[in-house]
Amino acid sequence: MTQFGTWQPKIRGRLYYNWPRGTCEEALRFTGSEQLGLEPYDLVIIGAGVVGCGLAYQLSQYELRVLLVDRLHDVGEGTSKANSAIIHTGYDAKPGTLESELLQEARAAWPDLAARLKIPVDPIGGIMLAVTDEQERQLVAAEKNAHANHATDVRILSAAEIREREPNASPDVRGGLLVPGESLGDPFMASIAYAEVALANGVDILLGTGIAGVELGQAPGAPLHHLVTDDGHRLPARRIINAAGLGSRRLADGYGGGAFDINPRRGQFVLFDKCARSLVRHMLLPMPSAHTKGVLVSPTIFGNLLAGPTAEDLPLGDPEATHTTVEGIRRVMEGGSRLVDGLAQQPVIATYAGARCSCNQGSYVIRYNDGAPGVVTVTGVRSTGLTTSNSLARHLVDGMQKELGLELSSDTVALDARPESAWPGWWRRPFEDRPPDARADHGCAVCFCEVISEGEIRDALDSPIRPRTMDALKRRTRALMGRCQGFDCQVPLAELVSGHTGIGIEQLTNNGPGSELVAPGQAVRPEEVSA
Amino acid sequence: MNNEVHFKVAIIGGGPAGIGAAVGLAKRGVGPVILIERRGEVGGTPMGYRKKPGGVPTFVEWTRGRVVFGEELAGRLTKRLAQTGTTIRLSTQVTKIYPAEKRLTLLGPEGLEDILVDAVVLAAGAREQTPAEKGWLAGARTARVGFTRHVTGWLDRHGLLPARKPIVVGSDLIAYSAAAKLCALGSDEPVMIDQRRSPEASFFERLFFRRWTRPDWSGGVSTVEIKGHGSPTHLESSNGREWQGDGVIICGQLVPNTELALMAGMAVDLPSRQLQLARGQTLSQPGWFAAGNVLGGFHGAQWCYFNGCSVARSVARFL
Ligand SMILES: Cc1cc2nc3c(=O)[nH]c(=O)nc-3n(C[C@H](O)[C@H](O)[C@H](O)COP(=O)(O)OP(=O)(O)OC[C@H]3O[C@@H](n4cnc5c(N)ncnc54)[C@H](O)[C@@H]3O)c2cc1C
Ligand SMILES: Cc1cc2nc3c(=O)[nH]c(=O)nc-3n(C[C@H](O)[C@H](O)[C@H](O)COP(=O)(O)OP(=O)(O)OC[C@H]3O[C@@H](n4cnc5c(N)ncnc54)[C@H](O)[C@@H]3O)c2cc1C
Repeated sequence: MTQFGTWQPKIRGRLYYNWPRGTCEEALRFTGSEQLGLEPYDLVIIGAGVVGCGLAYQLSQYELRVLLVDRLHDVGEGTSKANSAIIHTGYDAKPGTLESELLQEARAAWPDLAARLKIPVDPIGGIMLAVTDEQERQLVAAEKNAHANHATDVRILSAAEIREREPNASPDVRGGLLVPGESLGDPFMASIAYAEVALANGVDILLGTGIAGVELGQAPGAPLHHLVTDDGHRLPARRIINAAGLGSRRLADGYGGGAFDINPRRGQFVLFDKCARSLVRHMLLPMPSAHTKGVLVSPTIFGNLLAGPTAEDLPLGDPEATHTTVEGIRRVMEGGSRLVDGLAQQPVIATYAGARCSCNQGSYVIRYNDGAPGVVTVTGVRSTGLTTSNSLARHLVDGMQKELGLELSSDTVALDARPESAWPGWWRRPFEDRPPDARADHGCAVCFCEVISEGEIRDALDSPIRPRTMDALKRRTRALMGRCQGFDCQVPLAELVSGHTGIGIEQLTNNGPGSELVAPGQAVRPEEVSA
Repeated sequence: MNNEVHFKVAIIGGGPAGIGAAVGLAKRGVGPVILIERRGEVGGTPMGYRKKPGGVPTFVEWTRGRVVFGEELAGRLTKRLAQTGTTIRLSTQVTKIYPAEKRLTLLGPEGLEDILVDAVVLAAGAREQTPAEKGWLAGARTARVGFTRHVTGWLDRHGLLPARKPIVVGSDLIAYSAAAKLCALGSDEPVMIDQRRSPEASFFERLFFRRWTRPDWSGGVSTVEIKGHGSPTHLESSNGREWQGDGVIICGQLVPNTELALMAGMAVDLPSRQLQLARGQTLSQPGWFAAGNVLGGFHGAQWCYFNGCSVARSVARFL
């Protein structure tokens, strides 16, 4: 019988954290590029967001030397961790665009992809609600647009039909559009699953390593470039893919990439307690404006209720692009309340914000041999990157064959799936069908709100991308993510992590060096430890 | 799952209130009683307040006219519990309840188990409001934005300061006790901020804590944003005030742990999550009772113990 969350494949790639001594096991610590071998990489992907991870997974199916590098301390820790987590059907895309094409391809591919990679997805469907007369008039055009995107099951519902399906929809609802294919996804597990399989297949992963710039090779034909890290290490690469999201402009400046301007478009969210989940049955979407899809109210795959996002354009480099504001949260509540009655009475447990990579040249800007041979820029993956992560990766691999002359030969032993045991425990409870060899620690909850056991934490710590921060752990297990937001479990959890990994408890961080759980620079007093 | 065990009464939570209920039921000869505690030890919230030289006692023991360390108080209660013959399940959480059937689902080291009972005392305690729940606190999601529970966890279990320059949000008794603990064990004098104009803690409570702390108080703040990257650096209010600090402690404003009842469809007010109670601290389903901090608001530990004892009377009468 399967123990969920316990997948431990044979790993062919190398994983390192560029962290100070003592903050992770010495075997995981990056000290110099010689740890990665002397051969130059065939490809280096800068940015381990869902785009970079999706690409790494795709490339890991071939005999190539690939490195995935990110300045953050887990995969999928940038924009990819804070979104609406919807697997879109693309019914509302602009027909004929690359985005529409990638979304359509993704729609067909997701059920199989999710099943293979064990990414929790729930096809609950969406209803776009018209709450004004003007919006009601726009429904016909919206339906036509959906059909032009081959979402043929999309159809208009009357106010009465909506009421029947959604008793708590606002009394202002005039009608709506039923979008049966819209699905909830686990936004974290997508990046993690791609990266785990890529690592198992031999892709090297280097975290906590910012790329400061690129030294371009001068040789004609296929020159050898070098990436220079923030702390001065040089990483040789024949080809470079800049998938750095909001960091892509600065990198492109370093290799003379073509013109594009990006800026963070902040989206704030309000997360409600699980007791609010029963308020809605579908994801309820507002009619979009030219600027944004608007504030939606949707269940999450984890069983909470979510409202958001806002759309606030901020300057590139704004350090507050992922901060929430009291005003923004107020607008989310206001927007959500336009769709759902009684939303304001529901208990809030958390708020968060994500920053879309909004590009003045439109969504999905892809440039091959950008500034130099062998350099690829992928940017402006603004609002649908989770959905298209795999179709975009296929598109990029095709493009690199054509434009960079990338030659591919299949890696015949590469994995393209994760086994049943890789389902996260919160999704397939490990204790519900207890196998005869069950471990007692799978029954001892450490996170009470989400009912996550000590065993699941240990299993997650041993999972392929050895997560070593509290945030990385919470995205895998859901510990700390419940209604008490770590009130009860933060300290016991830190004790568990320290005990299992040997990292000093005072060294543990939320999300990498600089985010220690306790005031930095304290030594544990020996008499306390034994107590 | 199949061979369900039957008890006369189940007590959910082994804090002062749950212990009080067990003691009260034993006195009335009601049994068998099972007490279920999700942590590895009974004693509840006070148990985390260790007795330490130089530490700050924060629990009023009215019957002795003294202020003691939580651990001392909890220890005395635990001894009384040990004399009752109550079946105690540790590291076991009640994960679901079925009000009409009076059935509870437990998860513990042995896995899942259902038990059937004739009456239930919900004594699940309370927790502190999350920053987002406050509605006036936003900004960065950094490390070291924690709760009073973390102050005791880090200080009492590990001797580690959760912040050197703490900013305490809130001004009730819990906030003052957190400030005092931090100061006594080596932090800078905390900044304390609240939306209220004057502190929530009474004059006498503040006077008690003056030995350890005189927090740098700012009342009447409007909305506040946490600033910093990775770690907090300061707080900024919408009317231009700024407070420096390397950690934020969110104190007090307790939210009762009533979600078990709420999710099972019993009458609970939203968004406060206050139980709707009838006479004898009965919930909306007959045979279900509540005691202690789960009732909402802030109650001292000894009050909760006696409240548990008195609920036992209602339970006995019901049975
Ligand atoms: C509010 C909001 C709602 C959304 N809703 C949805 C939705 O419902 N469905 C959907 O499909 N999509 C949604 N999206 C879009 C989706 O989240 C993005 O398209 C996707 O996450 C983009 O992934 P990425 O890999 O391009 O970017 P990121 O995840 O930002 O990855 C880029 C990575 O590059 C790294 N990096 C940057 N600079 C450097 C450097 N110099 N050196 C090393 N590393 C560097 C960063 O650390 C980061 O990890 C939403 C986005 C937002 C913000
Ligand atoms: C953060 C905080 C700080 C406080 N500081 C002080 C102070 O300094 N001085 C003071 O006098 N008072 C303080 N109090 C109040 C004091 O702790 C309470 O008065 C008293 O502990 C309440 O007792 P109780 O039994 O109702 O709840 P608790 O003591 O909280 O006990 C509840 C118990 O129920 C368990 N439980 C909850 N749900 C379940 C479940 N589903 N299954 C199994 N077990 C469950 C919990 O693990 C816990 O052990 C504080 C309270 C809090 C929350």
